Amino acid sequence: MPKSDPPKQPDKIQPPMTPMIDIVFQLLIFFLLIPSQSGEAYLTTNLPRTSGPVAGEQQKDIKRIKIELQVPEGNDKGVVIVLNESQNFGRNFEGLLAALQGLRERGLPPDHPVLISPWMSCRHKWVVRAFDMAVAARFTNVHFAVPYI
Amino acid sequence: MARKKRKRESAAAGAVDFNMTPMIDIVFNLLIFFILTSQFTQLEIEQVNLPVSFAAKPQQIGDFRNVVINLVDPDAPKCVVMGQQVDYRVQEGDNELSTMLKNYKESLGEGKPLNVILRADELVPYEAVASVMLGVARAQIEGWWITTEIREQDEILGG
Repeated sequence: MPKSDPPKQPDKIQPPMTPMIDIVFQLLIFFLLIPSQSGEAYLTTNLPRTSGPVAGEQQKDIKRIKIELQVPEGNDKGVVIVLNESQNFGRNFEGLLAALQGLRERGLPPDHPVLISPWMSCRHKWVVRAFDMAVAARFTNVHFAVPYI
Repeated sequence: MARKKRKRESAAAGAVDFNMTPMIDIVFNLLIFFILTSQFTQLEIEQVNLPVSFAAKPQQIGDFRNVVINLVDPDAPKCVVMGQQVDYRVQEGDNELSTMLKNYKESLGEGKPLNVILRADELVPYEAVASVMLGVARAQIEGWWITTEIREQDEILGG
């Protein structure tokens, strides 16, 4: 009597592991490297002019908005904001933003020049904060005062 | 079917059959590695406490070549460019920073715009930032960017 074949075992499925491990390592390297740059953002602005007006260039007689950033006495890490040499906001940047937005609402165009004029000892973070307020009020033509030689 | 036949034929003839898949894997790995490392060495990022901003944009800076200027140490600000400490103090004519930038721009060739990205510590006095700005302006750089950390408006104005 012929022996019957034993019942066939179902074939084991073995997915190829090598490409999967390759991809996992690629993703691992990608996610390890990428976060070191995340959370950073950029503000762009006009650089100061290093020369006077070119011959024939018309000088525009526009009264620019001046944001002066002073350093209070006895607190070299603090700031006092003065707008157009008349409005003193202390260190209230929210007040500065409201004033700048008010100027825009009264019809000043976005490209109206804004000059941020910090004292030399004023901290960089306050300069960026003032710049932030000008950008938030949708002014696009922001300059910084620099020492002149 | 034809492939199997070819394989059998080549095996019979003793020919070496290359396995292309791992080679392509390695080539892609090397490609990604060199692309990433070249960008990171170019950025030359120093550890700085960046100022915060809500209006800044986390955008890509375009196809320009980038030079990163780090202003570190608020008590005695130092300017570090491409891993090298550079004299940035304002003087009549070009200083070391503007000369370096001019040379780098020239080395890129004509018509290749250059971005300068400032990464200044938030407590650096404005005097240092203004001096760097003048140096960059003297080198006639096209793009000028200030790096910040991004935050919500409420977080900045409320805090």
